Amino acid sequence: MPIGDTVPLTAIRWDDILFVVLAAMLLGSALLVVTMRDIIRCGLAMIAAFASLAGIYVLLGNPLIAATQVLVYIGAISVLVLFAIMLTQTKNAPARLVFQTQAWAAALAAVVIAAVIAISVTATTWPSAGAVAWTDTTRVAELLFSDYLLPFEVVSVLLTAAVVGGVLLARRDPDENEEDRP
Amino acid sequence: MTFATRTWDRMSLTSRLVAILVPLALILAVGSVVGILVILPATMDFLRANLPLVRFAVAVVGILVLTIPTAFVLIYLELKIIARMNLRVGPNRIGPWGAAMSLIHGFKVLSKEDFTPTGADLPVFTLAPVVTFLASVMTLLVIPFAPGLFGQDLNIGLLYFFAMGGLSVLGLLMAGWASFNKYSLLGGLRAAAQIVSYEIPLTLSVVGVVILAGTMSMNRLVLAQSGSALDWFAFKQPLAVLIFFIAATAEANRTPFDMTEADSEIVAGFATEYSGMRFGFFFFAEYVNVFIVSALLATLFFGGWTAPFNWPWPYNLNWLDASGIGVLWIPIAIIATVVVADVVAVAVRLVGGRSWSAPSAFGLGFLAAGVGIAAVVGLACFIAFDWVQGIFWFMTKTYVFVFTFVWMRGTLPRVRVDQLMGFAWKWLLPASLLNLFVTATAVVLLNQ
Repeated sequence: MPIGDTVPLTAIRWDDILFVVLAAMLLGSALLVVTMRDIIRCGLAMIAAFASLAGIYVLLGNPLIAATQVLVYIGAISVLVLFAIMLTQTKNAPARLVFQTQAWAAALAAVVIAAVIAISVTATTWPSAGAVAWTDTTRVAELLFSDYLLPFEVVSVLLTAAVVGGVLLARRDPDENEEDRP
Repeated sequence: MTFATRTWDRMSLTSRLVAILVPLALILAVGSVVGILVILPATMDFLRANLPLVRFAVAVVGILVLTIPTAFVLIYLELKIIARMNLRVGPNRIGPWGAAMSLIHGFKVLSKEDFTPTGADLPVFTLAPVVTFLASVMTLLVIPFAPGLFGQDLNIGLLYFFAMGGLSVLGLLMAGWASFNKYSLLGGLRAAAQIVSYEIPLTLSVVGVVILAGTMSMNRLVLAQSGSALDWFAFKQPLAVLIFFIAATAEANRTPFDMTEADSEIVAGFATEYSGMRFGFFFFAEYVNVFIVSALLATLFFGGWTAPFNWPWPYNLNWLDASGIGVLWIPIAIIATVVVADVVAVAVRLVGGRSWSAPSAFGLGFLAAGVGIAAVVGLACFIAFDWVQGIFWFMTKTYVFVFTFVWMRGTLPRVRVDQLMGFAWKWLLPASLLNLFVTATAVVLLNQ
């Protein structure tokens, strides 16, 4: 007999179990990001959070977004973040709490953000999820280049500006001496 | 002393053997009858009802197992080919022509001390080789080896490939950081900078192929090149092949771009503090990566499992079908072996006379018969099954590129790290953009 949609002897769907597991992983690793002291481990926990999110995207029927999530957020952004941390920090960085000098301001900001999220979540009428529709790559491309062409172009201009800015910042001064370089 | 032990002591050796073997045989017989009649059909039904799941599980186990012979063959090839290029003999002690050398390497690595340096970040240090190895293995899931022989045919296969392949840098970065060693850290940083830089031209160079084929599924990319060698994308995208090859060399951390483990500069890079099987997994992953990159090159640009010329004969000849004579081919092969061995032995004795002793004549006969039968069976399978043909062409193409990578390692000196980065951003990236624009323009113009 085939394994059905639900767990044997219960009415729980496999998808739901997977979702709960992935969501727990996502929340757990996100919590680790902000509670751990070792900043590299925080970065690695962030990668775990991104990976769980990619799993949830697959579960929602969009492997394209999931693959992009892994490719961009884990493969590029997180790696660059880790790179920057490793380049600037040493392993014997201060072990005491260096992040808690602005604890009051942070607490205030957290309360405000929590209130905003709570209000927006309760104020939104959530549409009930229909059947999971598998997203077609061609369809995404059609939408991107017809309905959403303007945002797409604006984002590309923004990215180009960021690249030019990065090059300008990293550029060596032409009249700088060879010996003066760090 | 109980009755049983007293009887046991009085029994002779033969009766003791009988007393053990007869019940054992009975249990086995009953067990196999029950197994064949009850458990086997139920299991088969269950497996047949869940075919997609079973297929997935088999594919995952298959690619995991496949990495072992692949890495062993690649290590041996590298040892031997580079030795020949350096006018050395290479491994020649263990096995025929030293072929079991990589096996010995494996056992050596397994039996070494698994050392963790003081100050190392233990969980990260332990996880790093796992991440690198799994990232390599998971990319194997979408590579089509032959018609119908692939892990999963994802419609975003190529994107999945690059997403998973990009994860290997994470392992190197983790290793570099967790080792608590400045050379390891330098190696990890170099790995991150190099792989993130070379990933961009690598991914951009295949976009031209995706535009031409109109799909990202690896299987359909191969089918889009079916026909003869002239239909390969290599001839429509020559610049992309070059960019892909160079960028893939850097992605796989192969010489001349192996800055991450440049032993003349930073000891062994990220792997400095690793020993035992953790070290082994890094190099396992590296050799699997070489295979994967070669396989991707063959799949995307050189027709994958399609034959390089129009194959004139039809597939699936009836006489090898299981419903026909089927299993009977095995006894036929055995009888043929014996007959051919006898004939060759007698011929050798008649022609060579006294110089051949009877055992050596028969040995020669069996060798000739074995080689002959293997050749006949191989040829028959090659003609009869399209997947045997597919594997043959796929592996031939892949190992040509594997040889090229080894060849490059034996020939080219290592580049400098600033040259490496400059080359990626100043030459490869503009070249891949140019390739993309030209391809897109050509497709738009030709499709009007």
